[in-house]
Order: sequence, then C-alpha cells, then structure tokens
Amino acid sequence: MRQSAGPTLERTDEADTYYLNMGPQHPSMHGVLRLLLKLRGEEIVTCEPVIGYAHRAHEKMAENRNYIMFIPNTSRVDYLSGMIYNIAFCQAIEKLCSIEVPERAEVIRIIACELNRIQSHLLWFGTFLLDLGGITPFLYCFDDREEILDILDRVTGSRLTYAYGRFGGVTMDVDQDFLVRTLAFVKRIRSRFPMYEKLVGENVIFRERCEGVGVITPEVARQYGVSGPTLRASGIGYDVRRAEPYGGYDRFDFEIPTRTAGDCMARFEVRMAEMEQSCRIIEQAVAAMPEGPIGPKKLVQRLKPPEGMFYFAVESARGHFGQYILSDGSNTPLKLKMRTPSFSNLSAMETVLEGTMVADTIAIVGSIDIVMPEIDR
Amino acid sequence: MSPASATPVSLDGLLLESADADFAVTGFHRVHSASVERIGDVARAYDEGAYLLEMITCEDRREDLKAMRLVYTFNRFAGDLDRHVVTVDLSGEIPGAEAPSINGVYPAANWFEREIYDMYGVTFSGHPNLKRILLPDDADFHALLRDFGRMEDAES
Repeated sequence: MRQSAGPTLERTDEADTYYLNMGPQHPSMHGVLRLLLKLRGEEIVTCEPVIGYAHRAHEKMAENRNYIMFIPNTSRVDYLSGMIYNIAFCQAIEKLCSIEVPERAEVIRIIACELNRIQSHLLWFGTFLLDLGGITPFLYCFDDREEILDILDRVTGSRLTYAYGRFGGVTMDVDQDFLVRTLAFVKRIRSRFPMYEKLVGENVIFRERCEGVGVITPEVARQYGVSGPTLRASGIGYDVRRAEPYGGYDRFDFEIPTRTAGDCMARFEVRMAEMEQSCRIIEQAVAAMPEGPIGPKKLVQRLKPPEGMFYFAVESARGHFGQYILSDGSNTPLKLKMRTPSFSNLSAMETVLEGTMVADTIAIVGSIDIVMPEIDR
Repeated sequence: MSPASATPVSLDGLLLESADADFAVTGFHRVHSASVERIGDVARAYDEGAYLLEMITCEDRREDLKAMRLVYTFNRFAGDLDRHVVTVDLSGEIPGAEAPSINGVYPAANWFEREIYDMYGVTFSGHPNLKRILLPDDADFHALLRDFGRMEDAES
C-alpha cells in the first residue's frame, strides 16, 4: 500500500526550520504511526500525525457480514484490549436485540475484561518505560502479563484475539481452577505494585522525563474528545463504567482514579491506580460468582434487531469505545461505525506537541497509550 | 442521568426536527435533524454548552433517502451524561455532496471529516487539510460507498 512519500528531511520554506519524519519504522514509535514534524532546532513547530498504515476496513467488513460473523473481527480492532472489544460488540447486539444475559455470564465477562484491562496497562507500562530507556521494568511486567494470558488462554483458547463472547453469554464456562488462578494472580500483582512504585514511580530520571511534560488541559481534552486514563489524568473523572453502566458494572464497588496535572506523570499514576481498581472488581466478582447457565435459555436462531440508529459505549483500556449501528431490521448492519478512543486521543497531539522538544515526543505519544490498529481500524 | 429537558444547550430555531429518545433502548437522549446550512450554528451552540463532539460519521442513504446523511453525536464527559445525535442530509451526488466544516468550532472534527471524505467522498468547505486519512493518497475510490454492492450470502 502506498502512502504519499511526503517530505523527509527537507528544508521548509522558512529558512530556519526543517521537516523530520518520525516513524512509521522508528524503533520507539508505537506501531505504524508516522509523525511529520516541522522543527526549529529541536523544538516542534507543527506536528502532523499520519495514520492509515494498519487500515483493514473492519467497518466495510461489518456491512458485508451478519452480526455473528463479525465477532472474530472485534478483538482484532484493538488487539491489546481485544476481550473488551469482543464483549462490547456482543453487549451492543444484545442491547439492540433485547437478548438477556445470565448473571453468571455477566460476571465471567467482567472478570475477563478486567484481566484484559490490567494486561493492557501492564503492556503499556512496559513499553512506555522501554521508550524512555528503562529496559528492566519491561521484563518484570511481561512476566506478570504472561500469567493473565495463560489464565485467559485456558478458558478462551486465545492469547490476544479473543472470540469469547456470544450473543447472550460466553462460549465456555469457567472452572474452579480459573477462579483460584485469578485470585492468585491478583495477590501476585498486588505484591508487585510497591516494587513498581519504587523502581519506576520514585525513580528520579523517570520523574524528570514525565513531570510537567505533555500537559493536556481539560479544555483541550474536551475540544478533541479525549477520553480514558488520558482524560482522567487531566482531572475529569469520566469513565463509561460509571457514567453509563453496562454489563453489570453498577453492582461493583470501585473508584475512578483521577489526577489534575494532566502531564505524563499523571497519566502514569492514573493507569497504575486503575490496575488496583480492576483487582478490586475482580475480587468482588469472584466472590459473587453465581451458579447457573452461561448462555441464553433458547438458542438465538435469527437476530431481529429493530430499525434505526443505535449507540453503545464501553470503557476500553484506552477510553470511550462507542459503536454506532444503523439497522434496517435485517441481521446485517447497514452501517457500523466504531468510535475508537485512540483516534480522538491521537488527534489532540497536533496541539499538545506544539512547542515541545523532539526528545519529549516519544514520552508524550507513549503516555497516551495509542494502539495503531485501533485508530486505523 | 439528566433528563433531556434539562439540557443547557439553546438550539431554538436551529433544527428541522427534534425528539426525545429512549436512552435505555437507543443510547441517545435526544435525536435532532438539522439543515446543512445550520450545522455550524448547531455545533457552536453545543460548544457554548460545554458539550464535546463525540464522533461524526456518514451514511450512504442514496437508495432510500436519495441523500448522503451526516451523523454528529454530542455528549458531556464532565457532568451528567447527555448524548444528542444530529443528522444532516446532503445531496446524493458523489462527488458533489458538501457540508461546511465544523473544525473551527471543534478541532476534533478535523480527523472525523477527513475520514468521511476518505470513505464517502463528501467534501467539507472550509476544512484546512481535507485529504485522505486512512486509504492511500492515490486511491481512486471511496471505500464505504455502496457502489461496490453487498455480499450476496451475507443474509444467511
């Protein structure tokens, strides 16, 4: 696929500025993102993110498949919070078609999604530190993360691209071993948080590179529709799980961690605090795990959605993931629009990066936790 | 959840139609439609009410409505949730369908409008950088138009 070559390292029309391409093959750049930077010395004059390298036309595919055929696509949109996307699509269709979900299936989904959220934050944590030059934390958190992948792999059969949800439930029931291992993991990760805090959070080099860097003000966040931990680090406690509860989240007791600084450090702290909240949700869910079926009483033979416009949002690991569905009453959507959080978060970078230094670019872009396949869809 | 009547946005005279929606069923609190000339004013009204632009998308409705339809959703992340959807019908001519850009009101619209241009061929007047965003720059088609037909066996 050809993208415009564009200027690489060229002089601009102004004598003292030049263009620099960062990505799509830059070793520190996340996935296939290209930042076209106009620089004066080391200062960024303008920044234009260039995206589309991982476009796979999921929305076009959705129009050519019936709803159930689209399930495997969902987790591939954002491979790091694949479980959340997969379950979110099922929940959207359940709401659209008024399909009831048994309580046990809801609780299993919540455990799976929260494990997925921790996994995604751990990966972000590791790669963010890697971007900043700290290799050791990466090894520790991948060790932790592997345990989650094993737990989910045992139940779902996949490590990343899950297709665990079905309309009205999940494919496989969980056993005692799953619950025991999940609780053991929660205990393990809790014992690691103080170490991470000591190793990273109190590390003077890390703090110097993060504090006051890449500040996103609440007003910029609103103008660009920034959501997720990036928004909560700017002082706005918006979380879809709390603002419009779905899938039984209203039954659980958890906090929405927020910070007011809006810089890279605040985003780091919010994500670390969120992992603890996910642990709390998992503990409550395991304790409250009811017996019963994991799928609908009567197999759904043919979906009969009502006609019209429909919107369903969930909180992915990166923020507000919305699905806009236009239905004509058939079992194939006329239109499925996926409003992905990183798309909006990244679009704010043109403003946030202006006037910062090239060396901070990696820290800032890394700190908003972007996943390119989710942006390009 | 705030009742829709408590909305602080003053949209008087800006809309063609306006109705309450059942949030529990559709996910929207209010459903509006506006004329293409007024969408800039509508966006400004939401901006003054401290709403954010959640998304813009487009629908190829040339078959049933003889139109391309833009879909804007506005919401609040700070304060009570209040999701409004505004639809705007454009001419069904591609190329030719055009709407004013609201990038000047909401910078978030920049990429959403580029994506709609990329995928549907709808142009936005006053957009500072209207070029393809996801497809290759030299693509000669707009991928989400219904020109390509629908897979026959999708209806199983």
